[in-house]
Amino acid sequence: MTRRAALGTLAAGSVGYALLGPRGAKEDTRGRLVLDYWEKWTGLEGKVMQEVVAEFNKSQDRLFVRYFATSGIDEKAQIAIAGGSPPDIVGVWNYSVPAFASANAILPLDDLGAPLGIKPEIYAEGMRQVVTFRGKMWATVNTGGCLALYYNRSHFKEVGLDPDSPPRTFPEFDDACRKLLIKKNGRIQRMGFHHREPGWWSFIWGSQFGGTLYDEKTNTSTAASPLNVRGYEWVQSTPKEYGLAEVNDFRTSFGNYDSALNAFVAGRLSMVVQGPWLANIIKLYNDKLDYGVAPFPVAEGMFDKNAPMGLIDTDTLVIPRGVKNPEASMEFVAYTQRQDVVERLSTVHCKGSPLAQSSESFRKNHPNRGIAVFEAIARSPRSYKVPATRCWAAMKDEMDRALDRVWNMQDSPASILGLAQKRSQAILDLTAEQERRRRGGAP
Amino acid sequence: MKFRMKDEFVGLTWVSPWIVGFLAFLLIPAGMSLYFSFTDYPLLESPVWVGLGNYKRLLSDEVFHKALVNTFIYAGAAIPLSVLLAVVLAALLNTKGLRWTRFFEAAIFMPTLAPLVASSMVWMWILNGRFGLLNQFLGLLHISGPNWLLREGWAMAALVIVALWGVGQAVILCVAALKEVPEQLYEAANLDGMGPVRQFINVTLPMISPVILFNTITMLIGAFQVFVVPYVLFQKDKGGPNKSGYFYTSYLYDNAFVYGQMGYASALAWVQLLIILLLTGLLFLASRRLVFYRGA
Repeated sequence: MTRRAALGTLAAGSVGYALLGPRGAKEDTRGRLVLDYWEKWTGLEGKVMQEVVAEFNKSQDRLFVRYFATSGIDEKAQIAIAGGSPPDIVGVWNYSVPAFASANAILPLDDLGAPLGIKPEIYAEGMRQVVTFRGKMWATVNTGGCLALYYNRSHFKEVGLDPDSPPRTFPEFDDACRKLLIKKNGRIQRMGFHHREPGWWSFIWGSQFGGTLYDEKTNTSTAASPLNVRGYEWVQSTPKEYGLAEVNDFRTSFGNYDSALNAFVAGRLSMVVQGPWLANIIKLYNDKLDYGVAPFPVAEGMFDKNAPMGLIDTDTLVIPRGVKNPEASMEFVAYTQRQDVVERLSTVHCKGSPLAQSSESFRKNHPNRGIAVFEAIARSPRSYKVPATRCWAAMKDEMDRALDRVWNMQDSPASILGLAQKRSQAILDLTAEQERRRRGGAP
Repeated sequence: MKFRMKDEFVGLTWVSPWIVGFLAFLLIPAGMSLYFSFTDYPLLESPVWVGLGNYKRLLSDEVFHKALVNTFIYAGAAIPLSVLLAVVLAALLNTKGLRWTRFFEAAIFMPTLAPLVASSMVWMWILNGRFGLLNQFLGLLHISGPNWLLREGWAMAALVIVALWGVGQAVILCVAALKEVPEQLYEAANLDGMGPVRQFINVTLPMISPVILFNTITMLIGAFQVFVVPYVLFQKDKGGPNKSGYFYTSYLYDNAFVYGQMGYASALAWVQLLIILLLTGLLFLASRRLVFYRGA
């Protein structure tokens, strides 16, 4: 075959494939109102949500929801809303709700949701905090996320710790960490706990000592409060005790979260602070891992078994400003809040139910061993959320930087947090000034 | 006259896709960005005029200063080293009698074809303090490699190493320029008794200096816009240890899409453009003395 003939055949084949090749299944909307739903979930989590969408589409003949798995969802939703072409429903992270709400970029759900039974009271106490902002309801929650302590029961048994009695306070926790440490030839092979893994929540340590980062009433940063300082002094005690170079060297052995090299899944760490979703990673990469779940420890004297502490960190559904049929969007959102739908989704996601009530069969058949703990945290009056301000993303970066400096012992925690507070306050003041200017000088 | 107008119309019709593209995707957005730079524009709400407010804010913004200094350090290290490496590799590839030249050229060029995110992921493991290939190699030489991505002093060095890996395009341009150097210049230099080093300095370098200038300018623009590699390498600790891997474009991106400060981000973008223009202008000024154009 000549070169010309070969190229001709290849070109003809390509054109034929393009014209006659396989096509994606065409959705049969049958004249129904089409709603676009952007969600961050892919893989197993996305698949079950798509099934829920399909069931909703089957359950009635007026609306047709299209599911779009979307990465970087907060940024993309922001651009789509600003561009005047938003999707009809978006699944954003709970910490973004205040930013969207204060810009009126999403619709309040009080009036839309009430006729369908959607109101803050249907949620667990902790979850109510993240669906409301400045007295209005802006979001719903379809799977409940909050943070707790995962611990490796086999490691506990190995060093003589009781796997049925995980540490409840920091002194107990630190003792356990010392016992769980394994060093070989001067290098750490296993640690009880490492504050930088996974490194997603640099700001929670003071909260477990009773500290807060932000006073919403006065719009003031409280990052350097004495209780927060205590929390970060506790963080700094780890590199001080085990050696900074050693703990940083050990950290380089941690793989990505969603991999078999995940430090907890691979047994490099005996304890980790994580959300309920970690159970899916364990199931996927190390099914035999014998783990337990408990509330993350608190400062001595603060333990209360009836009111565990933990950060609420969850997925929410919002309806963007500018959608053509908000009632239709709300109808789909309300469908996802049905107890059976919530429980089905939450089971596959390994998460707790965000609702105030969950069924016994849900708890009994749940794949996450720590489901009772996660639900207890979600219902606890001492669960907490990230500061409800539109500039949280910038404030979080300051806390990330502060943690980095505390961990690397660049200064005392009091001094580092003092600087973080000053900078966070500058961000808050700037945001307040921008809001004042935008509202024509009104406070 | 009529014929000429018709010709012009036909010509404009042919170039109209470019004109439309230029207006829609470059000129109008650039103009809007200039306007936004004088406003407080949180993206989700309408812009509000603040005059020079955003530019004044730059003066007292510590994170901006840190990002700017990091970018200058990175550019100051990565550009000269990349230019030098490109010339050296090109000279080696241009060695007479060298076999497998095409293979080496392809091998050097190949990294520039790899998607940046994918190659950054690979580099993340190469630079891993405990298991990384680089430290394993240094270990063979009885050198204890540092924790590249977790130590403030070494994070920048790691980024420069990654930048050097992507030098292939500059090498290929230098090789092409080297092949264009007239043979008789070397013959004349030989007759004058010049050794290989003097020949390289007095003949080769001046003859390929326009390409070196081109490489330097494109690298300068690239260095001041560096984003993907540090974004991936320091994904766990945003900006790396003590923000030592946090760059100008990273801060610009964060302001635009994470902090919702599009007006401020626009001001950052215009200052970035001015810095690049200024430095490119300085390079052109310096090139008057240092760059030799054959036709001139």
